[in-house]
Amino acid sequence: MNAIGRSALASLLLAGVISPALADDGDYVPPGGRIGYVMTDLFWSVYQTDDGKAECPNGYNDGPREQFEALFGDGSAYSVTETQLRQEIETWHPDTEPDGFEFHEVQGDLSWGLNLDGEVSENDFMHPDGEPGIDNEVYRAVGCIIGFRGPDGVEYIFQNKAIADQAYNRMMFEITGVDSLQNDDEVTVTVYRGRDRLLTDATGTTIMPGGSQRIDLRWGKSLIRRTTGSIVNSVLTTEPIADVVIPWMNLNVPTIQIIRDFRLQLTLSPSGADGLVAGYADVEAYYKQLIRNDSTHHLSNGQISGISLYKALRRLADAHPDPETGENTAISTALDVKLAQVFIVDESGNPVPDDIVSQLD
Amino acid sequence: MFTRTVALLLMLGCGVAAAEDAIEAWIDEPMPPGIEVVPTELDGPVFATADGKTLYTWPFHKHRNGYSGESPGKPACYDEVSTVTAGLMSPYPPGIELPDLDNRPSCTDLWPPLYADDEARTVGRWSVIARRDGTRQWAYDEQPLYTSVKDAERGDVLGASTRRYGGDSPAERKPAKPRPMVPPGFAVKTTALGRLLTTDKNASIYARADESPTSIVCRDDCTRLWHPVLAPQMARNIGAWTIEEREPGVRQWAYRGQLLYTYANDTHSWSQEGTDVAGWDNVYTQRAPAFPESFRIEETLTGTVLADANGMTIYRYICGDDSIDQLSCEHPDDTQVYRLAMCGGGDPERCLDHWRYVEASPDATDTSRSWRVVTVNKLTGRFANAEDPDALRVWAYRDRPVYTYGLDEVPGDVHGDGTGEWRGQRNGLKALWLRDDHLRGTQ
Repeated sequence: MNAIGRSALASLLLAGVISPALADDGDYVPPGGRIGYVMTDLFWSVYQTDDGKAECPNGYNDGPREQFEALFGDGSAYSVTETQLRQEIETWHPDTEPDGFEFHEVQGDLSWGLNLDGEVSENDFMHPDGEPGIDNEVYRAVGCIIGFRGPDGVEYIFQNKAIADQAYNRMMFEITGVDSLQNDDEVTVTVYRGRDRLLTDATGTTIMPGGSQRIDLRWGKSLIRRTTGSIVNSVLTTEPIADVVIPWMNLNVPTIQIIRDFRLQLTLSPSGADGLVAGYADVEAYYKQLIRNDSTHHLSNGQISGISLYKALRRLADAHPDPETGENTAISTALDVKLAQVFIVDESGNPVPDDIVSQLD
Repeated sequence: MFTRTVALLLMLGCGVAAAEDAIEAWIDEPMPPGIEVVPTELDGPVFATADGKTLYTWPFHKHRNGYSGESPGKPACYDEVSTVTAGLMSPYPPGIELPDLDNRPSCTDLWPPLYADDEARTVGRWSVIARRDGTRQWAYDEQPLYTSVKDAERGDVLGASTRRYGGDSPAERKPAKPRPMVPPGFAVKTTALGRLLTTDKNASIYARADESPTSIVCRDDCTRLWHPVLAPQMARNIGAWTIEEREPGVRQWAYRGQLLYTYANDTHSWSQEGTDVAGWDNVYTQRAPAFPESFRIEETLTGTVLADANGMTIYRYICGDDSIDQLSCEHPDDTQVYRLAMCGGGDPERCLDHWRYVEASPDATDTSRSWRVVTVNKLTGRFANAEDPDALRVWAYRDRPVYTYGLDEVPGDVHGDGTGEWRGQRNGLKALWLRDDHLRGTQ
């Protein structure tokens, strides 16, 4: 446990939020063997260098404004049907045919993410720590679009901001059967959606551990999933879940991401967790989540051409082939996630029964 | 139908404070000769001409790249036909030729001004303003007044709605309304279920059906969560509003004989969360008409929607063009170019797969002025005769056909919500939300 972790833990202990089940070696055994975390931040994982030249040697992609100017900025008289509606049709009824614009995919070798398929192939990235076989084709598609890059990309800012702001997006993970938050060879992980606002400090902006969240059994029952995992040196790694629906509303449009073979790799502490959500994003859900939340105006602010990006996503999709066409329907991805410790409770404020999943079946 | 309506409303935990046929009262005020107030199904009382044509204003509206609509006292709706876009909505520039120019109407073709004769004089909040051609036009609160060519019968409000709309919506016209008869501190919002009573801070008002001023159920601990709406010392009974002394010196507002409360656990404005507690209901000044009997109610990840007989979410189509006139493109009488582009890439056959008309059964008939069975040509989207080989009998809400969405696979899916330009606000679909907890009561 680092200094920050010790400080946060001390704060929790002082506040009486958690019981002092801290062993001499710094290990922590959560009360009742269960600890919950609520999502506070979520970003599409983009490995970026300071000047972007290593991963994007050909520069960044153009967005709707630039493409419109290139197509129709010759001074000729055009109609709405020939221009605006043509572009909107291509956005809302996308296809895989070339759009006439060069699309800049990531050219670098490095990427955040996980080795999802257990293989090392020439199409894979290398993790900055040297691990080969990293699968993250979403990064290859979006890494040279400025809207997805930190610290000021439009998606980077606003999609993440919505995670904390909107109760619709209140994803939670509860780990049960925990003998040690440092090492435990088998724990159970349950995915819920919460119903409540996040606990903050007096500024209203810094999210604090120690809050409580009621699970959403009315609107969010269908989101509940369960898997197992293990904790090694405070890192939780889960077994894949066939599909997890991440409710991810940005600008008041109720959209979802569907992550197939969903897994977590989280560094745990008594006060929070951070790490990766990884798996294969359903291409159609990925695209619709983007364009439903963000109009062409919003996409323009991040130089995100939905038209071009859709073609790239389909081109780079690398899993879950359609049984009829053989075309891949999902694309490998990783998301950076941060979570705060939270007490996950039922409507009465009691711990969620262990058999909640079977109760709901 | 009555039974069906009650059943639906009870399923939704809707208010019992408005009797089925109750209408919203309004505050009488001086009006010019020939103007009257007409009760309407969805929008409550509206001002209308002597022949029953609802009056509308066109309030100033800020867009991403400028403004449209009318500032007080300054008419902007004239008989010139706009031919190019105004470029009000990013990212598309101005000056692009608008569709269907051969038969494109002018602003006044669709919104005839309410002219005032030479004798007309200011009456209360009604005034006479000059148009640039020298004619005189009535205004209310200085907003120029118009009628809509879409309204045919007394009580029609088909030109526009009092429903709330988002900031990136077109510059909508609004029905001109008298002030509802609610005491200071209260307000009324138009929803899919009726005219919802709130405080002037948009907190929902609740009541218990089993409670009366002489038999108070909510006392002591109950009032920690359910806060009586207190009447100030100066307040007096007015119309259906009475002041009840629930305890010595504690004066509580009652409406139609029911004591009124707010709910401490509501998390957002215009909430229905309190109805999850047994015995408590929202309060409506009047209810919306019943939905067609074949329709269902479905729960989604976001809230509750109206659905067709198969449980598939029902959507409204919303469209306004980017001309300076901000003309509607969502009605069968409007240009269909925008709708056909969005629903099928310009291909009417694809539209029928992507945005599916909610077909009416052969024996279905209108259930209200708001929910009607209309006949459209399924390929053009225009109203049609039954003899038209491509005719389809479909359900329409406010004279506009409603749809299900082709990519919704199971009941509860709302993948069509926000589909289209500007998150569905300008040329796209919005689900018909009956309860929108995760949209924070904004729909």
